[in-house]
Amino acid sequence: MKWITCLATLLLAVPALGQNRGLPKGQITLPEFAQLADKASESVTVTLDPQLLGLACRFLDSSDPQQAEAQKLCTSLTGIYVRKYTFDTDYAYPKSDIDGVRKQLSGPGWSRLVEARSKKDQTDVDVYVLIDGGKARSLAIIASEPREFAIVNIVGSIDLEQLHALEGNFGVPELELETGKKPTAEKAPATKK
Amino acid sequence: MSQDIENELRRAMRAIDPPADFTARVMRNLPPRATVTAIAAARPAARPSLWTRLSAPVALAASLLVAIVLGQHMATQQAERQQLAGLEASRKLMQALRVTSQKLDLAYEAVQRPPPVAPPAEENRS
Repeated sequence: MKWITCLATLLLAVPALGQNRGLPKGQITLPEFAQLADKASESVTVTLDPQLLGLACRFLDSSDPQQAEAQKLCTSLTGIYVRKYTFDTDYAYPKSDIDGVRKQLSGPGWSRLVEARSKKDQTDVDVYVLIDGGKARSLAIIASEPREFAIVNIVGSIDLEQLHALEGNFGVPELELETGKKPTAEKAPATKK
Repeated sequence: MSQDIENELRRAMRAIDPPADFTARVMRNLPPRATVTAIAAARPAARPSLWTRLSAPVALAASLLVAIVLGQHMATQQAERQQLAGLEASRKLMQALRVTSQKLDLAYEAVQRPPPVAPPAEENRS
């Protein structure tokens, strides 16, 4: 009887392990947040896998400056995943889900570029970059505010200069990112408490 | 002399009754009776009607036409679906980049904000 239980556990565990292995490098596992979507007053869910991202790039209007910049950026990307929820009340979301995502970013290769904590605004923002071969291969942002939280995961060969070029178009600020160099932010995070 | 020949002939030519199974043997050795088969005279075929003659090509042509029209319709629908999906995906992409920029802005603001000024405790003492 015991060995049947062990076998059943093993059979259930193997596909679960396979799912994590199946994800492309740099892609984080985002929870479903299905219950949160019902509670949220506004939600944004973007799941652009390589196929959809390629399609999206083809349909961007290059005559529009914003879209032209986005087109340049997205050709080197392989996935964009965004979850953003806005609530009418403070902290209507479980922090454990966000912590679960944060834990994934403590794995090898990931570096925390920015760690911003504001007690005044009760805002936490973390920016992580996956460095591989001296290049940024994935970007993850976890931002939580009392009535809003957002998780962004951009997978692919990220040209930080191109991301920087979006400044002025989308309001992307200059984060003093150094291309091709491993950021030292983890050692001395830009923490503001 | 001639009398002898005559008698000899008479004797040779006398009527002899056939053996009892003679008829049966003859009948047995006869070739089988050929059966007469009536060959119906081939009637000239009736000329097929115009519809019968054209039905196959017309059906083929109609099938081809329907296939072409259906194919075109499906291709158009597929292109429309792809265009809608593409536009939706590009809208989502722009939305995702907007959220990214908002959150990077938030990080930037938090990093750039000056640290809270400590209360001037030393000055109050003096």
